[in-house]
Amino acid sequence: MKLPYSLFSRRAFLNSLIGGWLAALGAAFISPLVKYIVPPTREPDQVSTPLADFENMAPHTVKGFAWGNKPGFLKKTDDGGFIAFVGVCTHLDCNVSFVAEQRRFYCACHEGWYDENGLNVAGPPPAPLRRLAVSVEGDALIIKKQA
Amino acid sequence: MNVLRAWIEDRLGLSAVTGFLAKKDVPRHKHTFLYYTGSSILLFLVIQIVTGVLLGFYYQPTLAEANASVVRIMTEMPLGWLVRSVHSWSATFMIALVFAHLLGIAFTKAYRKPREATWVTGVLLLGASLAFGFTGYLLPWDELSLAATKVGTDLPKALPVVGPWLTQVMRAGGDVTGDTLSRFFIFHVSVLPLAAMAFIGVHLFLVQRHGMSVPHEEERKGVNVPVLPFWPNFAFREAGVWLVLLGLLTTSAVLAAPGIGPQADLMAPAPQGIKPEWYFLFMFQTLKVFPARVLGLNGEMFAVLIMMAGMAALLLLPFIDNRPFERKGKVITALAWTGLAYAIGMSIWSLL
Repeated sequence: MKLPYSLFSRRAFLNSLIGGWLAALGAAFISPLVKYIVPPTREPDQVSTPLADFENMAPHTVKGFAWGNKPGFLKKTDDGGFIAFVGVCTHLDCNVSFVAEQRRFYCACHEGWYDENGLNVAGPPPAPLRRLAVSVEGDALIIKKQA
Repeated sequence: MNVLRAWIEDRLGLSAVTGFLAKKDVPRHKHTFLYYTGSSILLFLVIQIVTGVLLGFYYQPTLAEANASVVRIMTEMPLGWLVRSVHSWSATFMIALVFAHLLGIAFTKAYRKPREATWVTGVLLLGASLAFGFTGYLLPWDELSLAATKVGTDLPKALPVVGPWLTQVMRAGGDVTGDTLSRFFIFHVSVLPLAAMAFIGVHLFLVQRHGMSVPHEEERKGVNVPVLPFWPNFAFREAGVWLVLLGLLTTSAVLAAPGIGPQADLMAPAPQGIKPEWYFLFMFQTLKVFPARVLGLNGEMFAVLIMMAGMAALLLLPFIDNRPFERKGKVITALAWTGLAYAIGMSIWSLL
């Protein structure tokens, strides 16, 4: 059937068909590369440490442990329980340190402060330190991601 | 000799280039010194390539060996300390000149038609220079470089949509690890050099294509701007400038060689009183004093968005200020001064 007029010339139609096909082909080649450049995250699901290492801590003291390749902190509470944090500043990801005399966590990168419960109290941090769930199972201390 | 020259000429046709250079003129006016900033950047770029290759002979980009291999370069390799010091100082000189080059062009409005593309490639090269500095800073793998990289790669995370993905691409995963070191190394020695070479090629071609821009105030004086032949007059002046800069470079490199801190420990708290390289100080201070929440939004995201908007405005300056070359552009001049004053002020504040 011959149309009296068309919005498309045959050339424009074929060009866009071939162009679209080439773009799809390019995307098919590039997508595996985009996938390749981000490796899977290696955060542990849980960490187990001997309870004996942490049992004799005085209340309000803090001890470090390894949360995967990040520092973690365990704090002994008044009632003898534990709370755990990821020791990484919520501002720009620097590792924090516990200043025992002030019972506060300190980030040296941009002078951020958290209280002993991980609450952001001064400086640029926008959120509290990330909490982890702690449980005692037999003679082991199990630290997990918080549900 | 002449036979050899004729043989090469027949095959390469280089007389088109040499003929162009022999005829090239450089305008002479009170801002002619700005022209030296561009060629001096090239001088330091060549020094960076040579010293970078030399460092690469002994450097090992792995978690276990990176710090130790830089210590070995500094202590055991003949004149290794000097090669590293020159590489570090030459980077500083180069970035300082890149900023000077940019400001000179902003003040003289040389980015206006028809030189928009030259400006855009120039701003991309500024980005490449900063990326070279940022990736190179991690390679010694000491406490400072780890903390700086954690902060720098965390910044894009605040951006909407692509932010978290960008951070993962830069870090090779969620955290800064040995994979980040490999990635920074390959960017520093391969990806960025290739990209920079391509942009420099286009940039230099466009500079020759359009000729040197003459500040309009000179043309307004109503007399023809006097010129200096590029060869040999201007080239000799340039050589003089280069000699002075080389003297400053070697003096700084010999008297103030950079040190190296203890090997980075992924579990250790960030060291006290950390500071990035001087050209990132103004951003560092901005992040430090920016409030945690602004108008109910995450302050960090706000700060990063403002910085990104600033960079985009810089890149697109010729299209924002697209008025004819004859216009004065007092607003742009004022903005350039404001930006400079802000950067210097924040940098000084961060050092107090």
